[in-house]
Amino acid sequence: MNRKELEQLAHDWFTAQGWEPFPFQKQTWTAFLQGKHGLLNAPTGSGKTYALWIAIVLEYINQHPNYKSKPTKGLLAIWVTPLRALSVEIKQAAERFVNDLDVPLTVGIRSGDTSAKERASQKRKMPSLLITTPESLQLLLATKGYDKMFKNIIGVVVDEWHELVANKRGVQMTLALSRLNTIAPTMRTWGVSATIGNLDQAREVLFGVNKERLSNSVLIKAHIKKKINVLSIIPETIDKFPWRGHLGLHLLEHVIPILEESQSTLIFTNTRSQCEIWFQNILAKHPEFAGDIAMHHGSISRETRLWVETALREGNLKIVVCTSSLDLGVDFAPVDTIIQVGGPKGVSRFIQRAGRSGHQPGKTSVIYFLPTHALELLEASALIKAVSNTVVEDRVPYLNSFDVLVQYLVTLAVSDGFYPEEIFPEIKSTFCFQTLTKAQFQWILNFITLGGQSLQAYDEYKRVDIEPDGKFKVNSRAVAMRHRLQIGTIVSDAVLNVKFLKGGYIGSIEESFISKLRPGDVFTFAGRQLELFRVRNMQVLVKKSKQKNAKIPNWMGGRMSFSSEMSHLIREELYLLNSNEKQKTKELKALEPIVIRQNRESMVPNSDEFLIETFKTREGYHAVFYPFEGYFVHEAMGSLLAYRLSLLHPISFTIAFNDYGFELLSDQPIDIQAVLDNNLFSSEYLRSDLEKSINASEMAKRKFRDIAVISGLVFTGYPSKSVKSKHLQASSQLLFGVFEDYEPDNLLFQQAFTETFEHQLEEGRLQLALMRISTQTIIWKSCAKPTPFSFPIITDRLRAKLSSEKLADRIRRMTIQLEKS
Amino acid sequence: MKTLPIHCNNQRFILHPSGVAFWEDKGMLLIADVHLGKITHFRKHGSAIPQISLHHNFNRLKTVIATFKTKTVCFLGDLFHSHINNEWLVFKSWVETLNCKVVLISGNHDIIDVERYTQLGVEVLQDWELDGFLLTHHPEERQGFYNFSGHIHPGVELRGLGRQNLKLSCFHWKENQMIFPAFGVFTGKYIIKPKTNDRIFVNTEDEVLEIPLKSQN
Repeated sequence: MNRKELEQLAHDWFTAQGWEPFPFQKQTWTAFLQGKHGLLNAPTGSGKTYALWIAIVLEYINQHPNYKSKPTKGLLAIWVTPLRALSVEIKQAAERFVNDLDVPLTVGIRSGDTSAKERASQKRKMPSLLITTPESLQLLLATKGYDKMFKNIIGVVVDEWHELVANKRGVQMTLALSRLNTIAPTMRTWGVSATIGNLDQAREVLFGVNKERLSNSVLIKAHIKKKINVLSIIPETIDKFPWRGHLGLHLLEHVIPILEESQSTLIFTNTRSQCEIWFQNILAKHPEFAGDIAMHHGSISRETRLWVETALREGNLKIVVCTSSLDLGVDFAPVDTIIQVGGPKGVSRFIQRAGRSGHQPGKTSVIYFLPTHALELLEASALIKAVSNTVVEDRVPYLNSFDVLVQYLVTLAVSDGFYPEEIFPEIKSTFCFQTLTKAQFQWILNFITLGGQSLQAYDEYKRVDIEPDGKFKVNSRAVAMRHRLQIGTIVSDAVLNVKFLKGGYIGSIEESFISKLRPGDVFTFAGRQLELFRVRNMQVLVKKSKQKNAKIPNWMGGRMSFSSEMSHLIREELYLLNSNEKQKTKELKALEPIVIRQNRESMVPNSDEFLIETFKTREGYHAVFYPFEGYFVHEAMGSLLAYRLSLLHPISFTIAFNDYGFELLSDQPIDIQAVLDNNLFSSEYLRSDLEKSINASEMAKRKFRDIAVISGLVFTGYPSKSVKSKHLQASSQLLFGVFEDYEPDNLLFQQAFTETFEHQLEEGRLQLALMRISTQTIIWKSCAKPTPFSFPIITDRLRAKLSSEKLADRIRRMTIQLEKS
Repeated sequence: MKTLPIHCNNQRFILHPSGVAFWEDKGMLLIADVHLGKITHFRKHGSAIPQISLHHNFNRLKTVIATFKTKTVCFLGDLFHSHINNEWLVFKSWVETLNCKVVLISGNHDIIDVERYTQLGVEVLQDWELDGFLLTHHPEERQGFYNFSGHIHPGVELRGLGRQNLKLSCFHWKENQMIFPAFGVFTGKYIIKPKTNDRIFVNTEDEVLEIPLKSQN
């Protein structure tokens, strides 16, 4: 059959279903059959499975015309999805097509949820299409004879590529692709991505720096645009608005009519604790919703989450309070309304969440934005404009993630072993490691074989051996087993399982929270009041409780920052505050009382002004700066300024930041005149000053935690077998200290700093922000008391530290709190 | 180095910034939770902790023993982190250079055969009652004795104006007991909350400082 005839098969099947293929589906079939690689830009639920799976099946028919009489065995294609929840839907769609066409191809799923029995039977007989996750794919690379398993592959599809491109799972994925390309040279690579700002770069990351591969690839756009209706929830009087706070409960009654009028509503909150609180409060004030309301977040047991998802899909739930756990995944057709509580921090996330409603073609997505404090009204106003102008953010890929490379090389050493000279060019062909030098590669090889750069006396380091013929191989079964348990790049806090005393799993909870409780304490979790009975063997045993005053777990989770697009929009809204009434949206008008107050205590800056406020409270001397550039930039700028000030004389700061500005707090007065006289906002010597301020403010320590786990420096333990590995557990903080003192040139240690620069501080954005400030007039207001703008910042408890004082001098001014008696 | 003399049970002890105490009357150096072999243990299991860091423990031990007129070194448990490994050889050659008595109060981590210690001339005890003092690994209360112990790896959180805070390892002094900070490199600490009549001494690089306690309001 020629290409036209093959494509006709697909057309006929579509016609038989009563459907018409979308142009992007037809383009994908053609490109795939022409032997091209590609990136398909299409949203979830748009028919992308049929675009790519059909292409693979057609190519299979093309290569095996006698498939009916002589069916082939073994793996033909891999479908990688970052989200396990999507696997079943993909499997059903894939099976439907091959069953209808009577093509003898099978579909299987392999993920962390797949039973050991199922996995073993897959190993004996692989399905034709394997739906899997990036981690499970790595685990396959850690099994003996993986090359035979993969050698006949026609295509690999990397689904939801936008979710992977900007993190280490993406790095892991491209390393796997580099291996597969060698094993199966004719294999086609395809990615599927939602719209992001840097789609072209996303394509480069997927195909690597191989010119031939890149030029033989296409970008296909589905052009499916969704109509989104954004509404904000604004109270009649602004008095009700707290200056800070992130719960938004004061607007609960405004939400009720929306819930009542909608068929099915998702309420998105930004943290799991907020999710718990909203769920509790809606039920407490409106018990009539009992039975119609549920909660969904990452710590709740999988069974419960699946139940909620099914109930949503079948229209059995009216309200689900959730976190980003429902950002992605299977569509819930009955959902017609979304409520976003608190700022979503980015336009893309907001649009994605809006898209979870009104999913049927032609329907409009409806999203309500509920500001949790006064300044979030600015966000509301900015978001409405952003949605109408479709502003989307870039997702910045990682470079030189040595931790992932260490893990990958050990993975290969665990299965069949590798020869460095064969593997080096493959690694260098990936986007992430395009600049990897021979010296760096040698460093990594020494690291995994010697545990350092030279052989030392008394050493017993054991991980990867070099065999006489030069093959790198793991021969210790214990090392291999520990490595398989550690494969993956998602590092989470130590979590404990929560169970009822009488049995019954409820979910998992961060150790850091539980460690603060004592037996008998009552806490809220998964919508229940639970009394802590005891903690044993990594299990938290609890009883039901009727007590009203319960503690609510405070899940840390990553802080989100405004994207540069979002901060730009916010600044534009801010500058409108001083303009005349006509230009103001109703959100800005609602802010009026706060603006009056701010103008009375201090001022609202215009576009050519940069505001600094100072005041003294019981806590010490505050200096608050307002660049309106987003959390990450403020973190960098705050540390930079604190560092530069600390050079003038010995001083200690704690630094707080939010998306609007940052605060320096000290026990001694902060000399703003010195900031101005010494031009401390200068972008000169930015890099070296930033480097020193990172050192001083311990920012890199946090990044090192993930690196230590991914590279296998820290062993996180065997699931439910915590006791045996106890002697191997150490905190990454402790480890950071050891490297700092004894091996500061270690590449993995250095990586923590590079990552802080590239992914946390956003040096480029900082530079631009400093340049903008240099064109503005600095206005320093010495205030009598905290202003409305400063309030959310100065009450933030999460702070960075920086000091140029001698430790003993600082200690002499400090005290220890006694235990409450 | 600034040391700090204190009294326990009417006897004078010198606290040293490295986290050890010297019992003047007995010429005895008290050291808790060295966790020798921990770095090698990690390395043996494929975790590449810098190997040179292990020498630091021995260098610090040498320095601190030379600082005082040490007649006896008493380890308050957890001298070795886990099973025997090559670090034992370093330990052995170090012990052989010592001109003083060495006693180990056995801790929960001390799983190496007692016989090996005895051969080196190191005396291993479960606990040690000595002139009204009780030396143990786990903190223990015994009528009529003042207890020295380790095990906890105590540390405290210090607070100051401007929302400043610091976490440092410390000696935790009580009326009938003093718990020692962990001596070893790469050992970590457990944050304690002292009670009204307790005293806290923190260690910096070169100083031991007593910290005032403040009740919560």
